[in-house]
Amino acid sequence: MTDVRAPETDPFDAAAEPDDPSRPGPASPAGGAFGLAGWLKWAWRQLTSMRIALVLLFLLALGSVPGSMLPQQGNNPSGVQQYFVSHPALAPWLNHLGLFNVFGAPWFAAIYLLLFVSLVGCVVPRTFRLAGSARALPPRAPRHLARLPRSAEYATALPPAEAVEVAAGVLAGHGFRLRRADSAAPHPAGPDPAEAGTWVSAEKGYLREVGNLLFHLALLGVLVSVALGGLFGYKADRLLVQGTTFADTASALDEFHPGRLVTAADLGPFTITLNKFDASYIASGSQRGQPAAFDAQISYTEQPGGPVRTGHLEVNRPLSIDGAKVYLIGHGYAPRFKVTDARGQVVYDAPTPFIAGTTGNFLSEGVVKVPDARPEQLGFTGVFVPTAVDVGGTLESVFPAADNPVVSLIAYAGNLGTNDGVSQSVYQLDTSGMQRLTTSPQVLQPGQSLKLPGGQGTITFTGYVPWVSLAITHDPGQLPALICGIAALGGLLLSFMIRRRRVFVRARAGENGTTVQVGGLARTDASGGFEAEFASLAAELRAACQQGRHPQREGE
Amino acid sequence: MPVNVALGHVSNAFLIAALVIYSLSVVAFAGDFAYGRPRRAATARGQQAQDRAAALAAVGAPGRAAQAPAVPEAPGVPEPAGDPAASESMPEPEVPALRAIREAGRWVLAAVVLSLAGVTAHTAAVLTRGLAVHRAPWGNMYEFITALTCVAAIFFLVVLIRYRAWTLGVFVMGAVVVTLGLAETLVYTAAGELVPALQSYWLDIHVTAMTLATGIFFVAAVLGFVYLWVDRYTRRVAAGRAAPGNGIVRRLPSIEQLDRLTYRTIVFGFPVWTFGVIAGAIWADQAWGRYWGWDPVETWAFITWVLYASFLHARATAGWRGRRAHFIQLLGFTSLIFNILIVQTFIAGLHSYAGVG
Amino acid sequence: MPSPVLRTLSARVRRRAVVMAAAVLTAALLAVALVATFAGGGSSGVTYLDSNDTAVLYASGHRPLAPEFSSTTLAGAPARLSSYRGQVVVLNFWGSWCPPCRAEAPALAAVARHYQPAGVSFLGVDERDSQASAEAFVRNFGVTYPSVSDPSQVIALDFSAVVPLAGTPTTLVIDPSGHIAGAVFESATYSELAAILAKVTGKGG
Repeated sequence: MTDVRAPETDPFDAAAEPDDPSRPGPASPAGGAFGLAGWLKWAWRQLTSMRIALVLLFLLALGSVPGSMLPQQGNNPSGVQQYFVSHPALAPWLNHLGLFNVFGAPWFAAIYLLLFVSLVGCVVPRTFRLAGSARALPPRAPRHLARLPRSAEYATALPPAEAVEVAAGVLAGHGFRLRRADSAAPHPAGPDPAEAGTWVSAEKGYLREVGNLLFHLALLGVLVSVALGGLFGYKADRLLVQGTTFADTASALDEFHPGRLVTAADLGPFTITLNKFDASYIASGSQRGQPAAFDAQISYTEQPGGPVRTGHLEVNRPLSIDGAKVYLIGHGYAPRFKVTDARGQVVYDAPTPFIAGTTGNFLSEGVVKVPDARPEQLGFTGVFVPTAVDVGGTLESVFPAADNPVVSLIAYAGNLGTNDGVSQSVYQLDTSGMQRLTTSPQVLQPGQSLKLPGGQGTITFTGYVPWVSLAITHDPGQLPALICGIAALGGLLLSFMIRRRRVFVRARAGENGTTVQVGGLARTDASGGFEAEFASLAAELRAACQQGRHPQREGE
Repeated sequence: MPVNVALGHVSNAFLIAALVIYSLSVVAFAGDFAYGRPRRAATARGQQAQDRAAALAAVGAPGRAAQAPAVPEAPGVPEPAGDPAASESMPEPEVPALRAIREAGRWVLAAVVLSLAGVTAHTAAVLTRGLAVHRAPWGNMYEFITALTCVAAIFFLVVLIRYRAWTLGVFVMGAVVVTLGLAETLVYTAAGELVPALQSYWLDIHVTAMTLATGIFFVAAVLGFVYLWVDRYTRRVAAGRAAPGNGIVRRLPSIEQLDRLTYRTIVFGFPVWTFGVIAGAIWADQAWGRYWGWDPVETWAFITWVLYASFLHARATAGWRGRRAHFIQLLGFTSLIFNILIVQTFIAGLHSYAGVG
Repeated sequence: MPSPVLRTLSARVRRRAVVMAAAVLTAALLAVALVATFAGGGSSGVTYLDSNDTAVLYASGHRPLAPEFSSTTLAGAPARLSSYRGQVVVLNFWGSWCPPCRAEAPALAAVARHYQPAGVSFLGVDERDSQASAEAFVRNFGVTYPSVSDPSQVIALDFSAVVPLAGTPTTLVIDPSGHIAGAVFESATYSELAAILAKVTGKGG
C-alpha cells in the first residue's frame, strides 16, 4: 500500500485534542428511522463534503471544454451559423444541449451554483468555529512529547516551574498563544499535583484559517461581481467613420447588449467625434506589414451642449466617458463614392465602410446601395485594395497602408429589396432581384469614374477615409471583481505561508537537575520550514534556560 | 526600435550552449545512478534509513514512518530514552548544502556544476533575447518555451540544493533538454517586434506570471511522473510481479517525500498562476473591453486553474491522496500544455499572437 | 457534567441560527429577484394601441415634454421644435438606408396629405444619412414636409431620455403644448397614426 491515505483523525488534533470535533466528512445515514429531515441532512452533508466539491470541480473543468471547442453564441455568432451550415444534423442537437452557449447554459450554472453552495456550507460553519477558537486556549500538553514529529530534550539546573516559565517567556516573545498548567481547567481524569506548573502549551498560526476562508469567500465575491456586471452592465459596438460624430443612444449603436436589468435609458448621453485616425505599419524587415501603432484623435462631450473635450484612443488605452469605457477595437477603410443616376441627379455621396477580409493587408470588401436611383435602384459590390499590385491578373494588397489604393466594382440594377420593410445588412447585397450591369469587375483609381451601361448612371471613386470600431462597455462588477480577486490571492498566500503549529514544553525534575522536553507539530506544513523553526526554537529555549541560571555566563 | 539582430544571434548561441551543457548534466546525473557513491543494498531498515537520511537530510527520513506518515519528521533523531535525566537530544543542524553535495560523490558534484553552468547560459540566452527585441522576451511560443524551461531549471536547482534532491536531476533536466530541443527545432522564431495590440506593460506582467507558473508546474509534472512510476513499481513489487531492489528506485526519494515535494512545488506555483489569470483579466479589459469573455485561451487557463485547485482539494480528501491526486495534477499540466500548443495556435480567438508560422 | 452539555447545546443553537439566517437571506434574495424580473410594468397613463405594445397613447398629465432642438433642414433653412408650439406636430425619425422607413413612407405621405390641411404639422428627423441620399429619398417618396438632418443622432439622443426611442423609424405626435401625446416605435401604419391624431387633435383642437 503506497497510497498515502489520511489517517482517520488528523494527527494535529489527535496529538493533543482528543475531544476536538472531527473533520466533517460524508457520513452514511445512521441506522434507524430516517425521515425527510434526516435525508435532507444527509444530502446537505454530502453536498458540503470535500469529495463532492472535488466532483463538482471536475465537472466545472469538463463542462468548460466544449465552450472552448465549439463556436459560442456570445463571442462568435457567425461561427455558430457556419457550424449549423456545415453540420446540419449535429448542430440542432448540440443546440438543445446548450453547447453553443455553454457559459450561459442552465446546466453550467447548476454546476457552479452547487459548487458555491457547497463552498458556503463549508465555509460558514468554519468561520464560526474559527471565531470560537479565537478565544480558545491551546490544548493541554501531551504526556509523551518524544512521540511528536519534532522533539528535543535538554537539561537545566533551574527548577521545573522556573524552566517552564522561561520557556513560556520565549514562546510568548515569538507570538505564541500560551496555556499554562495552573490556569488550565481541571484534568478530566482528576487533578494531578505533579502536573501543576510543569508544562506549557503554545499555539500559533491562526491566520492560516483566516487566509483559507478569505480565499473561498473572495471567490464567492467574484461570482457576485460577475452577476452584478451581467445584470447592470452593457456592451455596445459602433463603427465610426473619420470626420463623423455619434451620440450614445440605442438607435446609434451597431450592437447593443444590455444586461438583464439595463435599458437603453441607462446609456450615458455622450457624443464622440472621430477627428483623425492614424495607423502606422512596419515598412521593412521580417515584420513588414505588421501594425506598429494606432492612434485615434477624438473629441467628445459628456452631455449634449456640454464642453467639448479632446482625447486619444489607442489600443490598450480606453477612455472613460461618463461611467462607460470606450475602447479602440479595430479599424478599416471607407472609400467615398458619388453616384449619379440616369436622370443626372446625385443620389449618393458618402464614405462607405468596407470590412477587411481574411486575406490580409486590409484587402476589404463592401457594398454600395443606392435605393433612390431612378429609374432603377442601383447596387455595387466592391473590393478596396490599399496597396494594389497586379499579380498574374488578380489584384492583391501587399501592404496595409493606402499607398496605392484602388477599388474594384461590380454594378447591379434592379430591386435592392429595401422597400419591403425587412432589415438588411449594410455589408451584404441581395442580388436576387437585380441584374448585373458590368460583365467583369471594373477597377477604379481615386478620382476615376465608371459609366454604367445602358445610361444607368455613373459612379465615381472620390477618395477614402479611415474608420474605427469602438466598443463601449459598462461593468459595475468590474472593480468588485478585481478587489475580490486580489483578496483571494491574499488569502491564498496567507493560507500557504502560515502554518498552524503547536509547541509543548514539559519540565520534569530528576536526580541531576531538571529535564526539559520540547515537542512540536505543524498542521499541513504546505511551504515547509517548521522543522527549521522548531530547531531554532529549541536552541533558543535551551539557551534561555542556561541564561536564566547563570546570567553572567554567555549562551552556548 | 529596430531589432538588434546581432544580439539575437548571441541569444541563439547561448541557448545552444545551454542545451549542450544541460545534456552533459543529464549524463552526469545518470552517471550517479550507475557509478555513483555506492549505496549499500537494503539489509536492515535502519541502515536504509541512515542512507536516505544522509542523502536527503532535509526532506525527512522515513525513520519514524510508523507513527504518522503524513507529517514531516526530524532528520536522524534517535528515539529518546525513557529516562528523563539521561541525555540531551537537540535537533541536529543541517549539513550545509555544499558539503552535502561534495559528500554525495563526484558525479553529483559534476552534475550540479554543469546544471549551474547550463542555467547561467540559459538565463543569458533569455536576457540577450530580451535586449535584442527591446521587450520582455516571452512574446511568442518559442520565447515562451525558452523562458519557462529556464524558470523550471532555476526552480529545480533551488529544490535540488535545498532538499538534496539530486537523484531527481536526470528526470527534470532531461525533460528540460527535450522541451528546449523541440522548441528549437519546431517553433523557432527569429527575434522580432510585437504587434501594437500587445504593447502594454500588463502584457509583461501577465505573461511573466504565466511563464513563471508554467515553469514551476513543469517541475511538478516531472516529479508527478516520477511519483507515479515509483508508486507503480512499489505496487508491482508488493503484488509480486516485479523484483525488488531496483537500483534506480532505491536511490530516489521515498513516495512520501516525492509527494510532499510535488505538493510544495504546486503550492508555490498555484498563487503565481492565480495572479497570472488576474493580470490577464486586467490586460484583457484594457485591450478588448471586457475582463473575462470565455475566449478559448481564457477558458483553458480557467480549466487548468480548476484542475490544480482540485489537486489541492484532493490532498485533503480521504481516499484521494497519493496516486489519484497526482493524476489530477498531471491532467492539469496537460491542459496547460494543450492551451499553449493547440488552443493558442489553432483555435481562433483574440489570443492568437503565438507568432508561429 | 454541565460543561460538555452546554457546549453541545450552544453548538446546536448556533447551527440553527446559521440555518435560519441562510433561509432568511435566500428568501430575501428570491424576493428581490422576483420583484426585479416582474416589476417595471404598470406605468399608468399609457394606452397601447396594438398587440406589440409599439403604438402608444399618453393620457394628458402623463405626457413627457419633448426636448427642444434647433437644426437645419435638408433644404438649408433653420428649424426649431419650439416654433411649432400651438400646433400638433408629427415628428418622424427616418433614414434613407432604413428599409422599414422606406416601407412606411407611403403611409406617412398619405397621412400628411390628409392632416396637413387640418393644421397638423409634419417634421422629419433624418438620422445618420448623407445629404445626397436624403434628398433622393425625399424626391422619390414625394415627401411634402421638411426634415432636419441629424447625422450624429443627437436629437435622437435627447428624445431617448424621455421616450424609449430605440431606432428608426419612430414617429412621435406632439401636442400643441409641446408634450409627446402618442408614439409609434416601429414603422407606422395609416390607421395607427390616424387613431393617435384623432385623439390628440380631438382634445387640443
